[in-house]
This record gives sequence, structure tokens and C-alpha cells, in this order.
Amino acid sequence: MSGATLETGERTRLLVGGVLVVVAIAVLSTTVFDLPVADILTVGFVERLLQAASPIALAAIGGLYAEKSGVFNIGLEGFMIFGAVTAASVTFLLGGEGPNQADLWVGILGATVVCTLFAFAFAVLLVRYQANQIVAGLAVWFVGLGFGPFLAVLLWGNRNSPGLTSMNDLTVPVLSELPVVGPLLFDTSPLVWLAALVAVAAWVVLFRTKYGYWIQAAGENPEALDTAGIDVARVRYAAVVFSGAMAGLGGAVLMAHAGSFTGTGDTMVNGRGWIAIVAYLFGNYNPIGAAAAALLFGGLDMLQIQFQTAGIELPNRLVNLFPYVAVVVVLTVWGSTRMPSAVGEHYESEE
Amino acid sequence: MSADDSGGIRDLLDRAAARALDLTVLERLALAAASTVLALCIGLVVVAAAGYDPVAFLANVFEGSFGDASATARTLKFTTVLVLTGVAVAIAFRAGVFNIGVQGQFVVGGFVTVVTILWLAPMLPASPAAGVVLMVLGTFAAVVAAGLYAALPGVLKAYAGANEIITTIMLNFVATGVVGYLVEGPFRGEGNRAPNTARLPEYVSLPRVVFENPDFSVVGFAVALLVVALVAVLMVRTTVGYDMVTSGYQQAAATYSGVDAKRTIVTTMTLSGMVAGVAGAVFAIMIQGYYSDPAGIGTYGFDAIAVSLLAANNPLGVVPASLLFGGLDSAGSYISINSDVPVQLIDGIVGLVVLFVAAPELFRMAARRTGLGGEER
Amino acid sequence: MTGTTQPPAVRMEGITKRFGDVVANDAVDFTLERGSVHALLGENGSGKTTLMSVLYGLYEKDDGDVFVDGERRAFDSPRDAMDAGIGMIHQHFQLVEPMTVLQNVILGHEPTDGGLVDESSARERVVDICRRYDFDVDRYLDTPVRDLDLGARQRVEIVKSLYRGADVLVFDEPTAVLTPQEVDRLVDVMNELTAAGRSLVFITHKLDEALAVADEVTVLRDGEVIGTVDAADTTEQQLARMMVGREVLTERRPRERDPGPPRLVAEGLHVDGDRSREQVTDVDLTVHEGEILGLAGVQGNGQTELVEAITGQRSVSAGRIRFDGEDITGTSRRRRIRAGIAYVPEDRQTEGLVQEYDLVRNALLGNQTVGQFVTRRFVDWPAVRDHAEAIVTEYDVQPPTPDARAGSLSGGNQQKFIVGREIEHDPDVMVAAHPTRGVDIGSIEFIHDRLVALRETGLAVLLVSSKLEEIRALSDRIAVMYEGEFIDVVDPDDVTDEDLGLLMAGRRLDAESRAGSETDAAEDEVES
Repeated sequence: MSGATLETGERTRLLVGGVLVVVAIAVLSTTVFDLPVADILTVGFVERLLQAASPIALAAIGGLYAEKSGVFNIGLEGFMIFGAVTAASVTFLLGGEGPNQADLWVGILGATVVCTLFAFAFAVLLVRYQANQIVAGLAVWFVGLGFGPFLAVLLWGNRNSPGLTSMNDLTVPVLSELPVVGPLLFDTSPLVWLAALVAVAAWVVLFRTKYGYWIQAAGENPEALDTAGIDVARVRYAAVVFSGAMAGLGGAVLMAHAGSFTGTGDTMVNGRGWIAIVAYLFGNYNPIGAAAAALLFGGLDMLQIQFQTAGIELPNRLVNLFPYVAVVVVLTVWGSTRMPSAVGEHYESEE
Repeated sequence: MSADDSGGIRDLLDRAAARALDLTVLERLALAAASTVLALCIGLVVVAAAGYDPVAFLANVFEGSFGDASATARTLKFTTVLVLTGVAVAIAFRAGVFNIGVQGQFVVGGFVTVVTILWLAPMLPASPAAGVVLMVLGTFAAVVAAGLYAALPGVLKAYAGANEIITTIMLNFVATGVVGYLVEGPFRGEGNRAPNTARLPEYVSLPRVVFENPDFSVVGFAVALLVVALVAVLMVRTTVGYDMVTSGYQQAAATYSGVDAKRTIVTTMTLSGMVAGVAGAVFAIMIQGYYSDPAGIGTYGFDAIAVSLLAANNPLGVVPASLLFGGLDSAGSYISINSDVPVQLIDGIVGLVVLFVAAPELFRMAARRTGLGGEER
Repeated sequence: MTGTTQPPAVRMEGITKRFGDVVANDAVDFTLERGSVHALLGENGSGKTTLMSVLYGLYEKDDGDVFVDGERRAFDSPRDAMDAGIGMIHQHFQLVEPMTVLQNVILGHEPTDGGLVDESSARERVVDICRRYDFDVDRYLDTPVRDLDLGARQRVEIVKSLYRGADVLVFDEPTAVLTPQEVDRLVDVMNELTAAGRSLVFITHKLDEALAVADEVTVLRDGEVIGTVDAADTTEQQLARMMVGREVLTERRPRERDPGPPRLVAEGLHVDGDRSREQVTDVDLTVHEGEILGLAGVQGNGQTELVEAITGQRSVSAGRIRFDGEDITGTSRRRRIRAGIAYVPEDRQTEGLVQEYDLVRNALLGNQTVGQFVTRRFVDWPAVRDHAEAIVTEYDVQPPTPDARAGSLSGGNQQKFIVGREIEHDPDVMVAAHPTRGVDIGSIEFIHDRLVALRETGLAVLLVSSKLEEIRALSDRIAVMYEGEFIDVVDPDDVTDEDLGLLMAGRRLDAESRAGSETDAAEDEVES
């Protein structure tokens, strides 16, 4: 309960801020550009928004855990690339160019497992070998940018995979007939549900269980945790491994929604890992808040399709930049969130 | 609350910077060698696992980097740009500001160079002298534009507390997207099928001396070295440099000595961006001769982070570090032509080098365990 | 009090602990009787905390034996020590600021119910403990620790130890951060604890506190036990001699000539602290030429913020600062340095020196605009080196080379270098914040001599210190700060230590006891 009361004020600020941004964009677009907002805010848009937000939310929750425990995992982007390419590879190896839904699920699972292993190696470098967290995190991104497409070229002779299959919607009979809510919640990708579930579970664990207490203490005052007899390194290992696994799962979900892997440019992940970091900052280190912030960025990401269907002529290339610009704006307006005070500090028990 | 927060981020950066600078020159060399060897070893394992011949791959790496004059020229071509982007990163990191946005500043600089030269060229007679004037003006424009583009996240950090690591990365995406849009549409050269600008006039180019490679000029390399020297003097001999480096080591001490922390952040970012602008100009003039979609021009601004770290953020150390990464990039080009091994592997290996450079403790512990480590620190 | 039939709560025999070449504890013997308070007295670095860290399992001893309740024990970790009933109240509280008091108390020992933390049963136990010892902690169990004052945090630490079943409690310099009232409160708490049969170790370097609280006092010096005495049979003088090896003379150093005109004047100053809470409230201050104004007070009563406002590192929210009549309220730190305000900062480690720089580069710190070293922004390093060499020689800095890395110097030598650098600025005003904190005795006298010499050459000196004897010895007037305000400005000859103690606790002196100082204060008001 204290976790909640502690953050209530901040969350209100978040919600108000988020709503203001959305309203401002809407008002600006209607007045300045004369945009048909009704055409943009369709049920289909919200559905796509939820799908686009899921990978960001998952990675954000992972990153949040790592940072709460005192380790700044800025390698989320890299882990997402690994997740996406592994999910595509496993799916392809199981089902060739015509994989079924089961293959895809195994692919997602495989990606999570592989990223968990990578994250463990990464955690060893960070926690045991005291690697510079910023540089090592960047390095994970570079490694992902190299080995992700490398794997794709090995498998498919091309940086992109062929069309595989995308996640089918989970349709709940009867409930899906409901207006608006039906198609949004009961006729949508099960991965959206998964992301929502992870967000809630992550909140409960962080603020209601002893493991959550330990994670918070490890990031705020590791010595306090150590003198309470809890091994700080182990808590941080667990948090970093979880962050890598969640980012990997996020990448896999991204791939599963798209139906294929894209390895050109900055790969299909294309900055979503970085956006995830901003999402949890914006969500003030609260898993639910981070997921809510992910919705905002997911929405901006999907605007392009809405603009097209609404017949608004704006170059794709520029519309695609909205999320990045939004991140800069959010950080500027929201710059000063309180980081856990021991982030980036290596902790060595005196023993 | 806010003073506290930026303090937290500040501390984190201070610590990171301090750690990065915490090694002696000898240790630094050993670290570079060990990281590269370890990364190459992992690369070889991957090559073997993927069913290629690791020995042939290794041979290709050496041939492709320094095997003959043309390989050397190609290496020096990459090195030239990496020296400049590396120095840009070093300036910022030294001052404790994490400018990850050198790639974006480099793109802005290069694009502005090309646009400026294309715009001014018709006003001058086509002659080598005009070429020199155009190149100087183009570079100047790049320095201004990239400096401003870097100053933006600096201002946002100093006066709004926006974490510069994330804003600069976002601005990389924005630079790539906007320039990509511009070369695709408004600035596409007439009749170009590819999304490129028009070519620079023939006489706007650096002279070929010593090497025959059309994409490399010793003059460009000399410009890079000149910038290194200027920056080294700035950092070591001037109060501007002293203030910046002191801020990088210990913010509180800098403030105590009368340094305006916020202004120093902006100055640092601007200087860093200006050097990135020179890098962009050299890349545009010496290597490309036009500007294309920046999504496909190579990650000089990111590799520069590895370069700078390896060099302990010391402008002079950037030169040998750039040679190493220039060699790897050059080997990558060679391999993409002469081998079936997907060239992306080289990018991955570069990433691994960075990863290991970030963890000197790994090698120190390994050395201690095997009894090789003489230096007990 | 000493039970002969019962084994002592803790007995440590021949404890030796080395850090590299440094021997922190040299064959130390120490015995804590059940139900008593045993003070460990010594100067900073004498090995008190090291000894207790060995007991608490934080450090591994190199030699010696530890007995708890008569049984030989060796603790590998605080957890082991805790399980054996030993708790430690650290100087830096081991609390997680954003978490609530309850969460902090149960951290690492959380009762759970179905996977979730069972807060209600935890709450019951904690409330129980608070009732038993008459603590007030149960009244703010759901408050985040960051909203508590330091005294309350300390009580949370104590409750935390008791929750973990501590029978022996080690207090590491518990009064350092407390106001006098909070110290009184702590003494009550300690009495409650011993009455309930708990045994306490009280680490301190303050003689009067050791005498007031403890049953026995063990004095450590340079890692060795000098002696253990009954508190009832000893005096402060005797303890002081044991601590430092000779009598500490804190002789008054009154000025030899009358002060000149005011140089540094602050009027109606209001300054906010880091958390935008007002830390300095309506302060008027005047420092005259040829005068040392001492600024006394318990740490954290606004001295830091006041000094930073005067030296230009913190902006003021209201009021004026004048230097030689000129308004400098809004000017930058750099301008004030150039105007002649030198500053020995409170925190020499993070502010006064760049640890990674050698002394040459540190000699330029704060001198970046001095013409002697810099022409058109180019640094004349040979000139700076000469300067650094001069400071090192003149101020007897060890090792005597400007190439030494600042971080490798001892605290006293770092401080001498900073004092030297600031004096060699040729300043008009010297602001010295805690100039002798953590400095060895020889260096303290040296620095005192320098400050007095500055006064005699006509400088205006503002001296901030939490050491009363230092303030009394050097100051010509003493301003006492309490909760951001100047509670009084007194003449050191007219007040006793007790008077100053009362002032520092926020209690104004009644009229007769301060007849002499009245005029001074009035004079001060006229000038400002």
C-alpha cells in the first residue's frame, strides 16, 4: 500500500501530463492542419496502438526492474533485436515459410529463453566485472545490430526474413460482440493481454512482495540491504536477467505482430528499446505507469496508418519520427524524475 | 527534488567518466589488445558455427585491413572519419557529457556541406580555386549546423534536465529520418533514380596524393590530424579545456572554482557537434561526393564511441584507436566482396570490442587469476 | 552492574585488523558487560569503527578472538552477527529513503502470507517493540523515511535492530547528526534499553558524551587500546590526554588591534536548500576588516547554505550581499573569486580538490582567471607549477612534490594545500568552512596560525566550525545559527561553553547572562 501511496502524486502528474500531450496534439492537428480527428481515432487505431505499445511496455517493465535494482540497463534495444531475430529464426526453423501459430509461440518462448541467457552474461559483466553500464549497454545494441542481421543473412540470405506468420487475434465469443470494448479487448492479440498481465504482475511483485522490497532497496541503498543480510549482487543479477528476458520477449512480440523480421537500417526494433527507457522514466518507475506511457508512444507510432486512411498527405518518413520527437519533448518537460539513488554504483560487500 | 535528480544522473555520469579514465596508458593498450582478440575469437567461433572457414576469415580480416596499398588506403579512409567522430565523442565524454548523438550531428554536417556547396557552386567559376573556397565554406556550414544540432540536447540537459544519452539517441533517429526524407524528395538530384542529392562538381574534391584510392586523400587525413592537435591543445592548454575536463572529473570542484556548470554542458556539446560537423564534411567531400540516405552510410558516429573509450577519451589516443576500428571496417568491406561470410559479422565484432572495453575488470581479474597481472592496483 | 556469574555480553581479545600496510586495530581487548553502556572513545581514524565492524561481521579480523555470551564466535557477515543478536546503528543510516518506516524495519526479515508481504503481522510486532521501550516510531510507520528528521531515523534504526532480535547494540557516532534535544532523547532511549537488559557500545570522539552516557570508557589511539576506565572515576581532562597523548590547549587568540570598517555585509538574507526548503532565514551578518567572525551551530542549521550564498555557489531568494559596499548579490562565483573572496570549502574531497589531478593542476582550481597564470585563456603551466611548488613548501604539504596526485594525500595535507592555495589568492575576505575537520593536530595548529595571521594583516575572516573550542579560540565575535537564523551574536569572552550549547540548541540566553554581548549585537544591527 505504501508503494502506491508513495507514488500516487506522481502518477496523477503522469496522467495529467499524458492526457495534456494527447489533447494538445489533437487540438493542434485539428486547428493547424485541419485534420479529421474522428477519422484518426478509430477502433482500429486503438487496436493497432495496443499492439504497438505491447513490446515497448514489456521492455520498459524489464528496464524498470533493472534500474530499480541499481543497474541502468541501456541495452534494452539490443535485447529487443535479439528477441525479434530469434523469434523469427525459431519460427522459421520449425515451420519454414509457412509456420503455424504453435511455431510462432515456440519462437516467442525461444526468444525469451535465449535473451535470458544473454542477459545473464550481460549481468555477469555488469555486476561481477563492474563494466561501465552505459558503454556496455550501448555495446549490446551494437552487437545486436551486427549479429541480428548476420543471423538473418545466414538463414535467409537477406537482412529481412520472408513473410512468416503473425499472431492471430484471440476472439472471445459473445464478449467480442460488444461495441468498441469488444474488438479492443476480446478480439485482439493475446500478446496484448500478456503485456497487460506482465504489467500488473510486475506492479504486485515490486510493491507487495519481499523480492520487490529487496529490488527497491538494492537500488536506493544497497548497504541497507546488505546489512539486512540479503545478497545485493543476487538481487541485481535477478533484475538484470529479468530485464533482458522482458526486452527479448518485447522484441519477439514485435516480430509476432509484424509477421516477419526486418533487419535493414536499425532493424525493425528501430529505437523502441530507447523509447522503452523513456516510457518507464515517464511512468515514474511504476510498471503500470510505464505501460500507460508505452500506450502514448505506441499511439504516435501508429499515427502514420491513420493519416493515410484519413487521407492526410504527410511523408511517411516524417510521420515515423513522431515518437522520437515526443521522447525529446517528454524528457524536456519531464526531465527531472528521481532516479534510484544508487543507480550505476557498483556495490561490493565488505566481506 | 529536481536539483537532487539531476544530481543523481550527474553522479552516474561522473562515476562512469571517472572509471573510463581510470587506467594507465599501458593498461589501456593491454585492454585494447585483449578486447579485440577476445571479440575476434568469439567472431571466429560464430564463423565456424555458421559453417564457414574461420582461418580463411581471419586471413581476410588481415588482408582486408592492411594487406596491400589499396587495403591500407581503404583503412585510412575509414580511419580519417573515425578520428574526427572519435574526437567529437572524446570532447564530450571527457567533460562528463554523454553525447551519443555524434552520428546525427555527423549526418547533419555532411548533408549541409553538400547542400551548401551545390547552392554556392553556380555563383563561382568552375576552377580548382573555387573548389577550395567551396570546400571551406561547405565545411564551415557543416560546423555551424552540426554545432547547433548538438547544442540543442546540451541546452535541454542543462536547463531542463533532459538526459542527454536518450535525447541525443532520439535526435540521431530524427536526423536520419529528416535528411533521408530530404534526399528522397526535395533535394533529390535531377534525374536520379536513387534517393541521392546531385553530385558535387568535379573540381570540388581533395587531391589524390600517395594513394590512388578515389575515396581517400591524404589531405583529408591531415585535416583530421590537425583537428586532433587543435582539440588536444584546447583541452590541455586553455582554461576552456581545463574547465571542461574538471567538470568531467568532479562537477562539484568545477563549480567551486567558478565554472558555470550549465554553460559548460552547452559549450561541450556545441564543440563536440562542431567536430562531428567536420567529420560529416570530410565524409561528404572526400568519400561520397554527394549525399545519400543516411540510413545506409555507416555508423561512424557510433563506432566513434568505441574509439573514444579505447582512447580513454584522450584526443591523441583517438588516432591509434581509429586505426584499429578503421581496419576492422575496411576488413568488413573486403569480406563483403571476397567472402560469403555476411559482413554484418564485423559490426557484431565491433560491438563485442566495445562490450569488453567497458569491462576492464574482466581482464584484470583474468590476469590476476592466471598470474599474469603484474599491476596490482 | 558487572555480573560476575554471567559472562560478558561481548568479549574481544587481541583483535588485529590490517588494511594493506595500515594496522587499524593492534591486539585490541574489549569487554562489554551485560546491561551496560561501554563507550569507545578516540579520534577519527583511531580504529573504533573498525573494531566494531569486526564484531559485526563487516570485516574479517586478521587475528584475535570474539566471544559472545561466553561462546567463541566468528561472523562472516552482518547476517551472522545479527543472528547472534548483535545490531549496529551505523553513522550513515542504513535506511531506504523512499520506502516507509515499516518496510525499512522489516527489510530482509519480511513475514509473508501467500507470497505477499504480511504487513499487518509485521506492524503488530513493530508496535509491540515500540510499546515495550516507549518509542514513538509506531506513530509514523507508514511515512517514507525521507520525510523524517535525523533523530527519528535513528530511532527507526534502533527499532530495526530490535526487530531483528538484537541483544547487543553498537551505536557508531550516534550524536554526530543530532541536535542537542535529540541527543537528550537518545540518552533516554539508551537508558530504556539498558534497563531492559540490552548491552550497548557507544562509539564517539566527544569526551563529554562518553562521560555522560557510559558506564565504562575504552580509549583507542592509532589502533591501540590506551586504557579502559570507569566513567565515574575519570575526568574529561584525563580522557583527553589519553586520546591525543597530550593536553589539548585551546588557548584564546584574541585580536591585537581593533577591527576596521565592515567588508562583507549580508542583509535580510534568505536562502533555499537543495530540496527548495528555506535553510537560511533573514540573516544579517557583518564581517569587519581584521576580524574573525565565528559561525557556530549544530551541522545542518543553514551554515552550508549561508556560506554557499556568500561565496556565490547558491542563489539567494531574498536579501542583499555587499562586499566593500558594492552589491554582489547576483554576481557569479567567478566574479566573486576575482573580487577577492577566498573560500576553503566544507568538503575538500569533492569541492576543494580534483582527486585525480596532481597538485599542479589543482593549483589552478579557482585561479582560472588570474592573469599571473592565464593569458587570453591560455594556461601558463610552468607558472602554475611554480605556484604549486611554493604552496607545497610554504604550507609544509607532504609529500613535498607538486606531482603528487591530490587523492593520494592525507586529509590534513589536502587541507593545508587548499588553505595555502586560497590564502595565496591574496584575498580580502576569507571564508573558511570547517577548515580543520578530520585534520591531524599538528595541521590544526598550523591552520589556526594562518587564519590568525590573516586577521592580523587586516582580512575579514568568516570561520564556520562545529567545534566549539575552535570557534572560541579564534573568533572575535560568535554568531550562533539555529534553524536557519542567527539566534544571537556574542562575544566569546562573555559566554561559557554552556551558554553556547544552549544557543546552539535554540534557547536564547536570559538578560543577565549575556550583558556583555548585548552591545555587540546591537552594534551589529546598527551597521547592517
